[in-house]
Order: sequence, then C-alpha cells, then structure tokens
Amino acid sequence: MKVKINGQELEAREGETILELCLRHDIPIPHLCYHPAFGGQGACRMCLVELKEPGRVNNRLVASCTYPIHSSVEVTTESERVHRLRRNIVMLLARRASQNPWMKELVEQYGAPSLPPVQTEPADCILCGLCNHACEKMGKTAIWSMFRGIEKRIATPYDEAADECMGCAACAQICPTQAIKVEEDAATRTIWNKKFELVACRRCGKNFATREQIEYMRESSGYEVDELCDHCRKLTLAQNVRHYSR
Amino acid sequence: MSAKIKENNYDQQTVLVCCGTGCTANGGRKVYEAFVEKVKDHTEWKVQPILKSTGCNGWCEKGPLVRIMPRDITYCSVTPKDVDEIINKTLLEGSLVKRLLYRDPVTKEHLSSHHQTDFYRKQHKVALRNIGEIDPGRIEDYIERGGYQALALALHNMSGQEVIDAVKASGLRGRGGGGFPTGVKWQSCKDAPGQPKYIICNGDEGDPGAFMDRSIMEGDPHTVIEGMILGAYAVGASQGFIYVRDEYDLAVQYLGKAIEDARSHGYLGPNILNSGFSFDIEIVRGGGAFVCGEETALIASIEGRTGEPKDKYIFPSEKGLWGQPTVINNVETWANVPVIILHGADSFASIGTSGSKGTKVFSLVGKVVNTGLVEVPMGTTLREIIFEIGGGVLKKRKFKAVQTGGPSGGCIPEELLDLPIDFDSLTQAGSMMGSGGLIVMDDHTCMVEVARYYVNFLAGESCGKCTPCREGIRALLEILTRICNGEGRPEDVEMLEEISTTMQEASLCALGRTAPNPVLSTLRYFRDEYLAHIEQHKCPAGVCRNLTTFYIDADACTGCGLCKKQCSVDAIQGEKKETHVIDESLCIRCGECFRNCAFNAVKIR
Repeated sequence: MKVKINGQELEAREGETILELCLRHDIPIPHLCYHPAFGGQGACRMCLVELKEPGRVNNRLVASCTYPIHSSVEVTTESERVHRLRRNIVMLLARRASQNPWMKELVEQYGAPSLPPVQTEPADCILCGLCNHACEKMGKTAIWSMFRGIEKRIATPYDEAADECMGCAACAQICPTQAIKVEEDAATRTIWNKKFELVACRRCGKNFATREQIEYMRESSGYEVDELCDHCRKLTLAQNVRHYSR
Repeated sequence: MSAKIKENNYDQQTVLVCCGTGCTANGGRKVYEAFVEKVKDHTEWKVQPILKSTGCNGWCEKGPLVRIMPRDITYCSVTPKDVDEIINKTLLEGSLVKRLLYRDPVTKEHLSSHHQTDFYRKQHKVALRNIGEIDPGRIEDYIERGGYQALALALHNMSGQEVIDAVKASGLRGRGGGGFPTGVKWQSCKDAPGQPKYIICNGDEGDPGAFMDRSIMEGDPHTVIEGMILGAYAVGASQGFIYVRDEYDLAVQYLGKAIEDARSHGYLGPNILNSGFSFDIEIVRGGGAFVCGEETALIASIEGRTGEPKDKYIFPSEKGLWGQPTVINNVETWANVPVIILHGADSFASIGTSGSKGTKVFSLVGKVVNTGLVEVPMGTTLREIIFEIGGGVLKKRKFKAVQTGGPSGGCIPEELLDLPIDFDSLTQAGSMMGSGGLIVMDDHTCMVEVARYYVNFLAGESCGKCTPCREGIRALLEILTRICNGEGRPEDVEMLEEISTTMQEASLCALGRTAPNPVLSTLRYFRDEYLAHIEQHKCPAGVCRNLTTFYIDADACTGCGLCKKQCSVDAIQGEKKETHVIDESLCIRCGECFRNCAFNAVKIR
C-alpha cells in the first residue's frame, strides 16, 4: 500500500503502524513509550503526527505508534503544530524527572519552558509504562500501575515485596530514566523491596541471574537450566556446533 | 358522603408510591409500607386498591410523591403519617387532601395532578415514558404498557437491516455524551467480519449530579433490555453486557430481576419468541472509576484489565470486547430504541432539531427551585428548562451560569440562555451535552473555584495513562489553586490556555480532550473574574477565602440577628434591631452570613 510520509512515497504493510513504517525507513519520530517488543501504547503522545486520510479535508492528529495503516494516508511528521504539542508535552513531563540527563536533553531540544519539579515515586519515573510491559513479557505481573489520575504510579501490590517478582530487573533495564533502583553486592540483588540471591556463571564466575529466575526458567521450560551467563552460553553453544559439524 | 363512597369505591384505584433513590432517601419506601399495612386494615373496600412502588418520577424536590390513578392525583412530600388521611379521604371518600397538593407559586392555586405543574407541563417523555407509572420489579406492568411489542414486531416482521434502517432514519444519536449516530454505529458492527458479536449497555454514569441513567435502570429496566435485544438482533450479536456503576445497588437489583423475568417469559435466552434468534445478557458491576464510562476503558474493565482507554483508530464496532465487533450504547440510548421500532422512525424524528432528534433527559440540580429529572425535546432552550420547568434560581438570586455535560462540560453564561440545546449548539458554545447534567449556579458562585472544583475531580478520575491529560490536569490544578488562594500570577491565564489547548489536541481519549472545558469556558465567559483574582486580589463572588473580606452595610442591616446566630466563630456582634458588625480578626470568611442575609446587608470588600 502506498502512503506518503512528508511528501515521500513509501510502501507500507497493511496494518503496520505509522511509527513502525517510519522507523523502518529511518524517518525520525520522537517516542518515549513505544518499544519494538511491545508495540505502541499511545501513552506519552510524543509521537503525534499530522495525518490526512483519503476523502477527508482536514488534517487530524494521531499517535503514530498506535495508528494502523489501512489506507493511502498522507503523514506529516514535523510541523509547527506538532512541534508545539511536543514542546508542551516535554514541558509537562520533564517536571517528573527534571535532573535526568535524557530529559534535560529533550527540554533543550524542544525549547520547553520549565515548570517546578514534581516529586514522583519512584523518583524520575515518567510513567511511560515500559517496565509494566517488560514484566508482563517476562511472564510475570510483579509490578503494575496503581491508583489513577495524578496519583498514578508504578508499584508492587501494596508496595510490599511481591511473590511474583523474581528479581530479573528487566523493568530496570528498560526504564529510560533509570528510575527503578537496583542494588547489588557480591552475592545479592535488591529490587522493589525484595532481596535475591545471585547465581554465578559456572564458566566465568560472573553473577548473571537470581536464584528465582533460574527456578522460573526451569519450571516454565521443563528443562534443567545450565547455569551460564549470556556470553558463556553463546560461547558454549558455538563450541558445540563446531564439535558436531566436524 | 355515602354516595361518594359508593361511587368511588367501585373504581379500581391504583396507588403509585415513588421509591426512586431520591424518594427512598426521603422515606418513600416507608410510605409504601404504610399503605400496604393500612389498606389491609380497612374492610370497606368494594375493590381493593392496587399498590405499587415505582421508579423515580423526576420531581425529587417534592418527594416522596404518591399518585392515585385513574384520577391522576399527585401528593407531594408525603410521610407515613399522611397515609391514613389519604386512604380515608381520597381512596374511600373521593375527596382531596388539599395540604398535600402542589401549590403553584405564582397563582397560589392547588393543583391536583403533577401534569398541571410547570415542572411537568413542558416535558415530553420518551425514554422516561414508563417510569413512575409501573412497578419496575413486575414485567407484567411493562408488557401492559406496550413492552416487548417492538421486539415481537422486529423478530417476526423485520430483518436486522430493517431495524438498523429504522434507527438510522430516526436520527437517534448516542445519549452518553458523544452524540454519535446510533444507526451508523450499528451498521458498522453488522458489516464487520467476525463472530461472536457483543452488545454493551453503558450504565457507568459518573458525572457529579447526574442520575438519568440510574433512574431508567431503576425505574424501567425492561426498556433497556428490550432495546439491547433489538440491537443484538439488528447486528447479529449473541451476548450482551450491562456495565452498571457499582454504587447503583437498586439498579443492579431491578436489572437482575428483569433479566430473569425476561428469560422466563422467553424474551431472552435461546430461540427468542420462537424466531430462531438467541441472545442473553449478563450484568457486570463497575470498578468505581469515572473513566470506565469511556467505551474502550469500559471494555478493558469487562475484560478484567485496568480501566484505561485505548486509541480509537479502529472503533469498538469493528474490534471491541475481546477483539470482536461490539456495539456499546448508553442506557438512555437503549431506552429510546423500542419506541423507535414500535412507533416508527418518523414519529421519533418529528421531535427535536434538524441535527439532534428526539428528546433528552437532563438532571437539573444546583441552585434551582425544582431539582429533578426532566425530559424535553431537543431544541428546548436552557431558559425554558431552568426558569419554566426548574422554577428559576433558588432564593430568587441572580442566575450566573449553568454547567452542562458534567466535569468535562463547560459553563454557559446568561447571555446564552436562549440557546436551543442540542449536541451541536452546546459544543459550539464551548461546552457539551455530555450525559445531560445541568448544574445551575447563582451569583454567589466563583467561576474560578468552579473550574478548580472540576479539574480537581478529574485529577482523581483521569486514568493517568497519557501525558497531556495526567500532567496537564496537574498543572491546571496547581495554577487554579494558586489563583483561588490569591497567589495568581499575570502569566497564569495564558499558561492555562496553552496547557488546555495542548490537552484538547494531544490527549488519548475524550476525557483528556474535554477535561479543560471547564477552564476554557469560564475563561471565555468569565475572564473578568480570573483577572479580578489575579490583578485586584478579589473574589467577586465572595467564595475564595484569602481574597474576601466581609462587612455589614449599616444602611441595609435591620439588626435581625440571623447572621450573628449562624456565625460559627462568634465574629458578629450587635444588639437586636441595631446594626451588626463583623470582627475581621475573628472572621474565618466562611460566607454563611453573606449567603443567608435576607437584606443583602453583608457585603464584600
């Protein structure tokens, strides 16, 4: 299907989102809550673009991360209107993480006026929701958003150590503002008020997972888990392949 | 006298006691029970009267209401103590209990029927046609008044497409707020590939002061159910859900009973009325979030997920509940459907304006004489509703504004009172129809505080998913609170407008897009008041405490002592019949004296 992005004609796949199409063609659209692993949420609204649908006179604003292409639309990814909205969104959002370098960069890029900071819990959280989705993708629901409106925040149920949490820290890894705190010493990891025993790679000796994670892998796959870190697992795999291909 | 007893006593009389939530709160249920007890005590009946507890008559101000049919007598503010007198005088002797009749405030005449009152005369009941006339717990009552005839007609004489065509031709638009053409929505669902299809009734009424959906569900549950079955037949759906706000206990009870009765009468379940068509309905109780009235959030809630909206680039009519084609309509919309099918699209379309057909139920509340539910043809002016039906502003104060459409609606000033209300005119005026809340405000209302109140409501009720809504509301609330506290800054008005327009354009769902309406509409019509707060540090309405100093005008004060009596901190001193004085150092600026002085002697400095 032919669509026009900023005047340039592109071939889109039926049903893919505008953002996915643009990212495939290296057309930049700012986005904070989209991740290729989960698709779009339409939450941060930074990826708004102007859209002209066939048969319609006026341009409308749509979130490019959730708008599926089903017709020959014309998209403008940058315009004065879009820029103004993105600037104001950055202005409103930056208060939640005013000291975060990435946020500071965005403020500068859009020339967003500054508003007094807002104390969030956890500090610097911009509620993009990526951590929720990471947790869900891991097969768990240890964290989710609680409350609503301006009180909304990410937390474990009742802010207690969650049975569901296996300490994988996928949430912390994906967090764009490093809002989720992970503390580690030689043998343990503490995250979301819960302490985990770390397991060392049997080959290189580096800590690579928590005991609960290994258990979870064993349970969900039904196989014994070889206690190897990512790097060593690949190495071992490569050695095995070489061995058998001889 | 004896002749009268005879004549009267042979009629089959029916006593209708209003037991809507408002009247029940005022003792309506006890009045009904008193009738049940006392009617039994009398042995002189030739024909014993039928007693019915009904849904809300709408005239909550005068409740509990007792109506006696067929003579159409209406008694207001009835207590259990009045029951004996009503039985003896009216039911047995045939005379009227004058003191319980409504007295017209202008002509001072006692009116025997509520139909003669200003409150009812201008109303036109379609969605509320049965409420107050039937016992909502009895399916026979509904059937007696033509219920389920539309269903029989459609199932045996019309195709699904013909039902949709009729709804299209009627011009019915969604009563929940959006005003989307109902027939178009149904068509899109019918044409969408995929089975099963679902029907949802949105009963998650959440606007402060709005209770029309509650009254329909409580007072005439079968009309909602019949509407849904007709919709299901039209689009080919097999399962329906009624999503009821959790607090609406009575509605859940009556709907549950109605669904059971409809099943046992063959109107719900497999092979309805031997037509081969099957459909059933389940009640889902809401989770208590205002945002779940938004259809995609409501669907998420039924599915068991967090009640957060999604972008509607694909409508629920194509991909809704569990990804299946789903028609979701509001309670009042469903209540209109049987009427359209039974009496024809033309008769429905003959009511209303060119763009908005039929009637609309409004809940008229706030500083108005007759609070309650009113159903009027689209195109009725706000002035007719507030001043003719509503009887004007309480205590004869000056009208200032009317808030329409709930927290996301706007405030409409006096100069627009002659606006014929329909979906489009209200949107143009910067407000919206919403679900039909009308909150009347008098000149003792501060419009900045009103905007702050609604934004504060939404601060707790936005789902918090998207940035413009969540963070925009936070910023608006900060600024409005600042202005009300007397700390407003010159740049605040411009900032309010900038944030508001960003929310309108960029928010994910309609809640966020309309959330700034209270701010923008008050800025549009009452900008002076904002400037008075910011520049002159004054609250012209005398509401914002930091900006108000009260004093007593010596020329106007009669020394009646009312203010002195009501002052909770003893800040007012003065002898009887002499001018009173407010001690500013003690005054907490609650405004009680200001609002209650009968001589307007309390002034603002």
